[in-house]
Amino acid sequence: MSSDATSLPDGTEFRPSPHARRGGLKAGDARFGVMLLLPALLAFGLIVLSPFIQALAMSFYKYTISTPEPVFVGLKNYGKLLSDPTVRASFVTTAIYVFFTTSFSITLGLAWAIILNEPFKGRTAIRGLSLIPWIMPATVSAFIYGWIFNSRYGLLNAIGKELGLIEYPVAWLADPTGAMVAVVMTKVWLSIPLFMSFFLAGLQSMDREQIEAARVDGAGNWHVLKDHIFPHLRPVFLVVVVLGMIGNLQQFDSIYAMTGGGPVRATSVLSVEVYRRAFEQWDIGMAATVGVLWVATILPPAYFYLRQLMKGAE
Amino acid sequence: MTELSIQGLYKRYGAVEVLTDINLNVRSGEFTVFVGPSGCGKSTLLRMVCGLDEVSAGTLAIDGEIVNDVPPSKRGIAMVFQTYALYPHMTVAENMGYALKLAGEDKGLIAERVRRAAEILKIESYLDRKPRQLSGGQRQRVAIGRAIVREPKIFLFDEPLSNLDAALRVDMRMEFARLKERLGTTMIYVTHDQVEAMTLADKIVVMSEGRIEQVGSPLDLYRAPENRFVAGFIGSPKMNFMPVTGQGDGRLQVPGGTIDIPAEIDASRVVEVGIRPEHMQIGLADENTLRGNVMTAEHLGSDTFAYVEIEGLERPVMVRLDGEHTIQTGDPVDVGFATRSVHLFDSDGLALRRQKVSNAA
Repeated sequence: MSSDATSLPDGTEFRPSPHARRGGLKAGDARFGVMLLLPALLAFGLIVLSPFIQALAMSFYKYTISTPEPVFVGLKNYGKLLSDPTVRASFVTTAIYVFFTTSFSITLGLAWAIILNEPFKGRTAIRGLSLIPWIMPATVSAFIYGWIFNSRYGLLNAIGKELGLIEYPVAWLADPTGAMVAVVMTKVWLSIPLFMSFFLAGLQSMDREQIEAARVDGAGNWHVLKDHIFPHLRPVFLVVVVLGMIGNLQQFDSIYAMTGGGPVRATSVLSVEVYRRAFEQWDIGMAATVGVLWVATILPPAYFYLRQLMKGAE
Repeated sequence: MTELSIQGLYKRYGAVEVLTDINLNVRSGEFTVFVGPSGCGKSTLLRMVCGLDEVSAGTLAIDGEIVNDVPPSKRGIAMVFQTYALYPHMTVAENMGYALKLAGEDKGLIAERVRRAAEILKIESYLDRKPRQLSGGQRQRVAIGRAIVREPKIFLFDEPLSNLDAALRVDMRMEFARLKERLGTTMIYVTHDQVEAMTLADKIVVMSEGRIEQVGSPLDLYRAPENRFVAGFIGSPKMNFMPVTGQGDGRLQVPGGTIDIPAEIDASRVVEVGIRPEHMQIGLADENTLRGNVMTAEHLGSDTFAYVEIEGLERPVMVRLDGEHTIQTGDPVDVGFATRSVHLFDSDGLALRRQKVSNAA
């Protein structure tokens, strides 16, 4: 320690404080850091990484109810799948589902956030109530919507008949378009609270005087929205779009509970496709292959999201 | 010509009355400062002139037209906000030209007006930057520039210097004075800092608790405050106040001594007297003298502030002396002052006026 000491010409000595930090992590610090991460790493390895590697391996095997042991087939499953029109249809269905759920959730979530950001009586209560769809299990919501769209005693048919829009009850879920509308609506309803929260947080961090300055400058509602609120919410949009896409690509429970992927394959998104191949047709190898392709679809937005997140953390 | 006329103006939020019966006229080209402690309603009044807050009762006229229900952008005003409220995602030039762009003005005209305003404020070199790349003082200039570009009839400034550090504030204060000369436009300026008010204003409006206490030129307010509040608020350091404990022979008794008062004043009505620190002296027995002990002295170089403890007074009396004055803590002293520099207040806190306004130096 005395080697670091400095002194003035008059002989006054200064030694470094014993509490001074030395540069970099000490050996003990690094070990401690690893120990902190260990539980999460273990959980990740057991629950995420190892099943994924097993599934990846399984995608190179033929393993159905008629094969007692998995048979290695190389890339054959992939070749079969890529030429399978039902899988291509499943990708299209997924794309439609993700596009509509994400865009409607964002539009309505933003609109709702803007409304809830305005001062009015009972605002706090409504903000609280708005979170209900988010709190409820998705399957419960799916059943609620199942009732709404039910052909015999559904709310939608009742209202439609009351208003004179339809003459006879419509079997919404039995119609490919109707079923898609139903699953999309359910998911949008589920997502609005989360997206609304994101946007509301963004709106609340906005400088009130900036809007007032814009008003004084002559901006009407549209210009306030376009020139000030949207640019301010841009980073939020980025996160919400990516998170929304990832979430919607993964969606399974609400769709399966409502339509089971039907009618026929109309709402059979990738997640439902994997489930059907695995547990209805007992074609584990093919299910794993669809699963791997599905992960490959999610990776780009996920990567993009993580990169943005890391950038923000720096 | 009257640019702004406010008559019987009230502002209420539910049962709470924030502004009470405000009457005020501002002449064309006048630099008017609303000053008062925080919560006195000065910012609310400015926001009502701007059109950001609604008028509860009364009329507000700009350039002869009642504008109670006219939106801010159509009132011919421009406002500089306390936080500057620059648009963070627009460049300096876009910030300044925004109002003209919304008004559908020609691009060439916008560029020309922005360039001219930038020249006045010496911000030409960073027209392409974003607000976050600017320092506090530069942002302030951009905010002013944004107002200038609109060529308003009235400029409104809401505590524009409060976010700047002390040195910059003095610079910008001079800048405002220069701007006032150069533009000659009517300006209304809100501040809680009476030094800003004194240095900038043609006309000061002193406010307290939602009411106008007094309107006048800086020196009028300093020399002849109409009430105790204005007397205490205008002037730095603050005026010393002393209660009157008795009277006789045309003299008032106060803690530590007696004070002569002019014959025309009814001594029985005076309950409190006020004397500014700069009108008091130590050691020199003038017309009036108070006895006390020096509690502490602050030597600022240019001035010496002596705090003299006087028996019967809660707060020490402050005496402003020149910087050469050396004074010892604990010394018994005589504090002297002239009768003409004494302010007299009645039980309602209103100033009792001499027949001729004093010329207290």
